[in-house]
Formats: sequence, structure tokens, C-alpha cells
Amino acid sequence: MRRPPNIFYGVDDKPPHGVTVLSGLQHVGLISIILVYPLLVTPEAGLSSQASQDVLSLSMIVLGIGAILQVLPRGFIGARLLCPPTFTAAYLAPSLIAVKTGGLSLVLGMTAFGGVIEIGLSRVLRPLRPYFPSEISGLVVVMIGIAVGALGLRSVVGGTTSQSISEHLTVAAITLGTMVGLNIWTKGAPRLFCALFGMIVGYLIAAVAGMTTAEDFAAIHSAPFAGVPGIGHLGWSFDLGSVVPFLVAAFATCIRTMGDVTTAQKINDADWVRPDMRSISGGVLANGLSNITAGLLGTVGVSTYTSSVGLAGATGIVSRRVGFAIGGIFIVLAFLPKASAFLVIMPGPVVGAALLFSASVIFVNGLQIVTSRMLDARRTFVIGLSFMFGLAVDLQPQSFAGMPAELLPFVSSSLVLATVSALLLNAIFRLGVRRTRTLDVVPAQFNAVAVEEFIEAQGASWGARRDVIERASFNLVQSIETIIDGCNPTGMLTIEATFDEFSLDVRVSYEGAPLDLPDKRPTNEEIMASEDAQRKLAGFMLRRHADRVAATHKDGRSTILFHFDH
Amino acid sequence: MELREEIAGEVAILDVKGRIDSTTASTLGDRLSAALAMRDRRLVLDLRQLEYISSAGFRVLLLAARRADESASRLVLCGLSSKVQQLFDLGGFLDFFQIASSRDDAISAAK
Repeated sequence: MRRPPNIFYGVDDKPPHGVTVLSGLQHVGLISIILVYPLLVTPEAGLSSQASQDVLSLSMIVLGIGAILQVLPRGFIGARLLCPPTFTAAYLAPSLIAVKTGGLSLVLGMTAFGGVIEIGLSRVLRPLRPYFPSEISGLVVVMIGIAVGALGLRSVVGGTTSQSISEHLTVAAITLGTMVGLNIWTKGAPRLFCALFGMIVGYLIAAVAGMTTAEDFAAIHSAPFAGVPGIGHLGWSFDLGSVVPFLVAAFATCIRTMGDVTTAQKINDADWVRPDMRSISGGVLANGLSNITAGLLGTVGVSTYTSSVGLAGATGIVSRRVGFAIGGIFIVLAFLPKASAFLVIMPGPVVGAALLFSASVIFVNGLQIVTSRMLDARRTFVIGLSFMFGLAVDLQPQSFAGMPAELLPFVSSSLVLATVSALLLNAIFRLGVRRTRTLDVVPAQFNAVAVEEFIEAQGASWGARRDVIERASFNLVQSIETIIDGCNPTGMLTIEATFDEFSLDVRVSYEGAPLDLPDKRPTNEEIMASEDAQRKLAGFMLRRHADRVAATHKDGRSTILFHFDH
Repeated sequence: MELREEIAGEVAILDVKGRIDSTTASTLGDRLSAALAMRDRRLVLDLRQLEYISSAGFRVLLLAARRADESASRLVLCGLSSKVQQLFDLGGFLDFFQIASSRDDAISAAK
């Protein structure tokens, strides 16, 4: 793992305490945007305002525990990356239905059930990996970026009138401009805490513009400075009729966590090549545990928070210590109702600006993950069509109105539909893709371009990394050229290329003398003096270019194996 | 492989397009030999459009560099794509040849 140049404090680094706490506060501000979700369920459950305040405080404890679970440095729990949770619409929708049929106790019981399902899913992700290739992970990240960006835009203009929209846009523009401007044109603290500064500026401008109402101030004023949250509202129940919606919620949350952890991995590692399934499984497991905790402590379901992952990437602070700081701050805030009330009244334009800021980072990371692999026609359609289907949910929601009720959960969001579509199309299009391909080459008719096209076409059908295919392509052409020049092959040369997600093996076999693959480079004088030394140079380059080479010669037949890690 | 020669003052520029392998290396070798046959020549080899170079191509470049030394001439390479640069690195040639980052720099270095 190599740290990218824009990361100031890597995942294992220990930033100064001040940086850690301020960075934690920055994330807490961003995460608190979604604290409103539990408060959408409590009125439906008929809870008093005091009980709702208790739910809010307990929700903060859940967020704190969830943030810490993800950054645990050892064991199988947690992504070991900075990807704290927040409440998710995936669980909110079934919770709003469940609260009507079975009250808050059903919401809590089913949320814990969703957590159990996520834990189960986390244990079977590894064998499912071939059905979830990198480009689909990238598509998931892109769709998450779009969803967060769309939510940001709605937050900016939501509830506005023709008179107030210009004020909202102005506040959002100043907030976003502060965040982006500090991020691009400053160094040190202003850059590291650009989102926090932007939110503070946004709060102030919004207050000047009159967006913070008297009720908002009254809510802060009436909240006690300190207090222990009550647990009188706790109770749990289970209903078979709610199983399907919460199963879908668990699946959608699992997909989102996979996307967020993948993004966090990529942000952390300049040499990132593929999703690390241990980290993803640990992340999904931690999120499942967070949801069991949410159910037990009396709030709605959580998922890793895309915006926090984006914020970490934008500010260059991805240290696990910040995860512990976020956890600690939330747990402390749970016992300080006045402070938490201040966070809950964040004005819409400030919320929108913060979401747009982090969505930009997520969206671009998703595009980079998609394009890190070679894409043939099959993979192009898997990604392209799924992207379009996903967008259709947002652009043409009325098209799905007449669907059977059992299918509605699959078109509940652009993220879910795009992912389900990509998984299905990928499973279908995998049919007929062979893992091993061969090509015969007649020495007298050797066409280097045809050999290059062969390996590139295979690389695209396998979804291989472009850089690995380019190395294999050079080794194939250079080895065949050298064999024809110096090994007197009789008959055809056979190329065999075998791919799995972790390696590419290319074999060249022929009747003739073995190719010399020295581990010592001939000198320039030797190369200039003889063509034999030039062929030794070729062998030396071939050996260096592959991760492993093996040459055999038996009964007059020579075989060279080039192994490339993938 | 296609070769195209230009003159910029006292500097000759040879553009190489395509592939330098065992079938094309001798053509390039002959052209370089001719260009460096006289004493005190200035030659820029622009490799912007080079797609592939094999060990045979490197040998021809080595021979040209030696000829340049012998005739008190100057040979400067430029326009290496990242892929071609990786092959120069692979063969251990990055430090041996004089390589400029741009064509203009190469012309200045050759003067």
C-alpha cells in the first residue's frame, strides 16, 4: 500500500490531538445532517418530545459505537478504515411502514433482524466475488455519489418559494464556495478543516438571512445542558410480514457499505487495484453489529456514510484515530442535549452544500474504479445499461408505479436498481467467457499486432487491469520475436493465456531451442557486439517484466511461462 | 515503421512512427548511420509516435549512440510515452541515452 500524495494523515498515522478532534468534529457535523431520520419515525410512534430527545441521544451513542467498530485495528470486525455510519434511507422507508403496523417495538426488532442479515451476508461475500467485479463496485460508488449529490440539491432548494430560493442558493453557494475554495487554494488547517469552516460560515450566513427560526433557537434553549437519555420507549417485536422490506434494506445497506469501503480503500492506496474483501467483509459485519445495536438501543438502521468517506478523501485525513474521535464525540454529545440540538437545526442550504462537496469526491472515485479495468462489449453493456436503468428511477419514477408490489423494493432507489441490474447482467454475460484462450502463431507469418490484439481482446473480456495486459502484451511479442530470431522453432508456436482475478498466466510453447532468460543484464558493449547478447537482453527484459517466469525444455519442446500478479 | 526527417537549423530531427522490432530495426539503423556518418552532426530522435521497441531496437539505438560519440556528434531522444519510457527503464537504458522531455528541449540540448 502506497500513500497517495493528497493524503496528509494516512490510515495508520497518529495526527496531533488537535487535528484529530477538529477532524472528528468536522465529520460529526456532516453526519449530524442525517440525525433527522430517527426523528421522522418517533412522531409516528406517538412518542413525547422528551422521548424523542432520548431517541436522538441514544442514536448518537449508536453512531459513536458504529464509528469505533469500523476502525478497530485488529480482529475480523470493521473495515479498519475511516468510514463512520449514519442513518440510512434504506432502513427509514421500511421503518416508517413498520411503525404504523407494529409501533416502535416492531421497528426496533426488525432493525436488529436487518443487522443479523447483514452479518450473514458479510460471511458469504468472498465466494461471491467473481459476481461482483471491480467495475460493478465502481458503478455502485458512482450511483452513491449521484444519490448523495441529488440529496444535496434537494436540501438546497427543498421547501423554498420563489422568493426564498435565491436566498437558499446564495447561502449554499457561499458555504460550498468556502469549502471548495479552502480545499483548493489553501494549505494547513484551512484545507484540513475546510468542511467544518464552510459549515460554520453557512450557519452564520443562514442566521443573518433569517433561515434559523425562533423555534430552532427555542429548541436549543429548552434542551438541558446535560442529561442521561431515558430508555422508557424500548421494546422489541418481530413480524413475518416485515421480513421482505427489511431484507431488501439489509441487502441495499450491504451494497452501500461495500461501495463505501471500496472507495475508502482506493482513497488510502495509490497502488489500489481491486477491492480488498477482508476489509469489505469486516465493514459489512461491523455495520450489521451497528444495526443490532441500533435496534437494541431504540433507533433506526444505519449504513456507512458516503459523505464522510468523501470528506476524508478531500481533506487528506484518513487516520483511524479520527474514527475513534468521531465515536467519542458522539457518545459525549449523547449526554449533552443542548449541543446535539444545535446540530439538528442545520439549515437546508448548509446541508446541501456539505453533501454536494463530498458527493463530488465520491462520484469521481467511482468513475476511476470503473475505468481501472478494460471493458469489452459485455462489460460495457453491464455498466452502461445498469447506469441508465438506475437513473430511470430518479428521472422517470412514474414508469415503475404499476409494478407488482413484490418488485417495488428493487426499484426503490437508483442505487438498488442499478446494482441489481449490474449483478444480473454480469451473471448472464459471464456465460461463454472462457478463462483460458489459445492462439497459434506460424513463425513465417508472425504478425505482432495480431498477437497484441488477441491479448487485449481477452483482457477486455476478462475485465483485466490495463497495465497488466500491456506488460503481458510486450512479453508475448518480444518473446515470440526472439524465439523466431534465435531458437529455430519448427512448426507453430502456441500461446495460452489463463486468467483469474488474481493472476494472468501466459505460456508460449514451441518445438525448438529454449529461450535464454538471464537474470543479469548483458553490458552495452556486449549488446552492440553480437545479436546473441541482444537476445540475452530480450530474455533479461522478459524476466524483469513478469512477476515470475519459468522455462522448461522436454523432448525438444520448449515452454515459457510468464506469470503476472493481478 | 515510418521515418520522417526535418531540419531545424543545424539540428536534424528524425520522427519515428510505429514499431521498432527485429524486422524494422535495420531500416532505422541504416538511417541513423547515414545521419551520423559525418562529423559534428546534431540529431534529435523524436519517439512521440513510437508504439513498441524490442531489444533489436535498443541495439540499434546503442550502435547509433556509439557512432555519435565516435563522430563527435550529438544524439538526443525525446517524446517517450510512459509505456516506452517503461521499456527503456526495463532494459536499463534511461541513464545511458540523453533524453529530453520535449522536442524543443531536445533541439536545445543537441545544439
